[in-house]
Amino acid sequence: MALVLHTYKGNKGAFKALVAAEYAGVKIEEAADFQMGVTNKSPEFLKMNPIGKVPVLETPEGAIFESNAIARYVSRKNGENSLNGSSLIEYAQIEQWIDFSSLEIDANMLKWFAPRLGYAPFSAPAEEAAISALKRGLEALNTHLASNTYLVGHSVTLADIVTICNLNLGFATVMTKKFTSAFPHVERYFWTMVNQPNFKKVLGDAKQTEAVPPVPTKKAAQPAKPKEEPKKAAPAAEAPKAADEEEAPKPKAKNPLDLLPPSPMVLDDWKRLYSNTKSNFREVAIKGFWDMYDPEGYSLWFCDYKYNDENMVSFVTLNKVGGFLQRMDLARKYAFGKMLICGSEGPFKVKGLWIFRGPEIPKFIMDEVYDMELYEWTKVDISDEAQKERVSQMIEDAEPFEGEALLDAKCFK
Amino acid sequence: MALVLHTYKGNKGAFKALVAAEYAGVKIEEAADFQMGVTNKSPEFLKMNPIGKVPVLETPEGAIFESNAIARYVSRKNGENSLNGSSLIEYAQIEQWIDFSSLEIDANMLKWFAPRLGYAPFSAPAEEAAISALKRGLEALNTHLASNTYLVGHSVTLADIVTICNLNLGFATVMTKKFTSAFPHVERYFWTMVNQPNFKKVLGDAKQTDAVPPVPTKKAAAQPAKPKEEPKKAVQLLHLLIRE
Repeated sequence: MALVLHTYKGNKGAFKALVAAEYAGVKIEEAADFQMGVTNKSPEFLKMNPIGKVPVLETPEGAIFESNAIARYVSRKNGENSLNGSSLIEYAQIEQWIDFSSLEIDANMLKWFAPRLGYAPFSAPAEEAAISALKRGLEALNTHLASNTYLVGHSVTLADIVTICNLNLGFATVMTKKFTSAFPHVERYFWTMVNQPNFKKVLGDAKQTEAVPPVPTKKAAQPAKPKEEPKKAAPAAEAPKAADEEEAPKPKAKNPLDLLPPSPMVLDDWKRLYSNTKSNFREVAIKGFWDMYDPEGYSLWFCDYKYNDENMVSFVTLNKVGGFLQRMDLARKYAFGKMLICGSEGPFKVKGLWIFRGPEIPKFIMDEVYDMELYEWTKVDISDEAQKERVSQMIEDAEPFEGEALLDAKCFK
Repeated sequence: MALVLHTYKGNKGAFKALVAAEYAGVKIEEAADFQMGVTNKSPEFLKMNPIGKVPVLETPEGAIFESNAIARYVSRKNGENSLNGSSLIEYAQIEQWIDFSSLEIDANMLKWFAPRLGYAPFSAPAEEAAISALKRGLEALNTHLASNTYLVGHSVTLADIVTICNLNLGFATVMTKKFTSAFPHVERYFWTMVNQPNFKKVLGDAKQTDAVPPVPTKKAAAQPAKPKEEPKKAVQLLHLLIRE
């Protein structure tokens, strides 16, 4: 049985093992059909790595997780070589630089990078502290490399492999030429190493980013973890674009909902009643709703978020729902919604109640608002008293709702 | 020349090397007159560790920094022993847990602890994310320890030494009984290990904090000390929160 590496393509952690394998003459297969967010949640995978992160190396004797540990294993698989030094002190100093590059360089670089990409909460003071700590680490590295070509000894060791793979991600994402020019020996070291054949084979052509990614807007605040890669990377990248795109001046197309037969219910009247009722909500607003509701001209819908197991962090979950409601802006004339975030701790359940003009969920909303497909939609049967009551409870923010406390209730009106 | 460990007293990073030394029968001297914030800024010290952090181990062949690397060196100083496993896969799995406990447990615990003690900027969302990540790590560790007494194999390895020293700081500072009760196998593992003679000799009587330190006021939040260097007894050493 070969050594099988489970990872998504382009994982910096996986590169460490693959470069080490080139130097040590070890054969590694990358697992076919690996799907980030799916494969690594399976019971079989969790037996190999209970925290479910990648990369993981499967060997005939057992599995190994943690990218540095995998690289160490690979470096020793074919016996002694120069990757681990030729004495106890060299070995220890290789280990020291491996840990240093993970804790002082990589960790701080990720604290700068991840929030800007929406993978973690953004905070200017925290970013400033991270950049300061990163500079401190790079200064120390720069001092060492002023008089050393390699981190330890006179040839490539595992310390160089780990450090270069970490730096490669930093150079590609946040560390511009302007930033790294303060560390000229690190620059020399980096460009020399990435052009060595065994590195180039794995890393390809190393690139340095021209600019730091911008600070995220609230819309882009998606809860993916940087070590794993976001599951919904495509929609997350599309969402800010969709929201920010300028509407091209074009002749105003008639919305098909405007062509429906007139209805006695005026949605704005309901929205006014909802907003202005300050007391006796059930007797005044809820009763008023059912009095004015026109099942011919409008329809009621329940929605349930399909991926509640993602909702482990409260503010991230709230951001997600907030983003959905912002993207619904184009439907404001034709919709009213309540989104309840339920539970006193993660995973939080997101449940919604919507009223739309027309008998179906309007097609233009399904087409324009990508969040819609992240929810299961069921039409409310108002002849069913239990469903009617659920509608009422969702409008009034009943708590507990279905046995749970409400983290928050958001209204689209 | 003996092995000399440069550190302030009570440094969790130093404990890893000292416990490993007990198991490996290695003699380590702690540098006398070490003054945190002074000694580690001298040119002599910076030659040993250009980033100026502690602990640093001075050996006849050269200096080593990074607490896990020092512990690895110490564990091998007297040749083979059970600390590093008896096969390549055991060795690799020991390394995996060493890195896991540093990156998944210790790093997140520090992100919770350090801002509350004023060592880093405080932000409620960041703390929530850190606690969530810490719980995720502890859950994985708990799952592994449900059917394993030691992290790797059937006796103490370097993985246990590093993990226990990391957990010890967590238990002492932010992880109350209420918090750790969700991870009963981790609790069992922790209390068994800290009561082993070689651990007790170095760590003393391990304690679990009764409460999480409070969120800092604006005055305390302005200090930029780095958590890796500062001792856990913040009250005694707040006067060392000098700008580096």
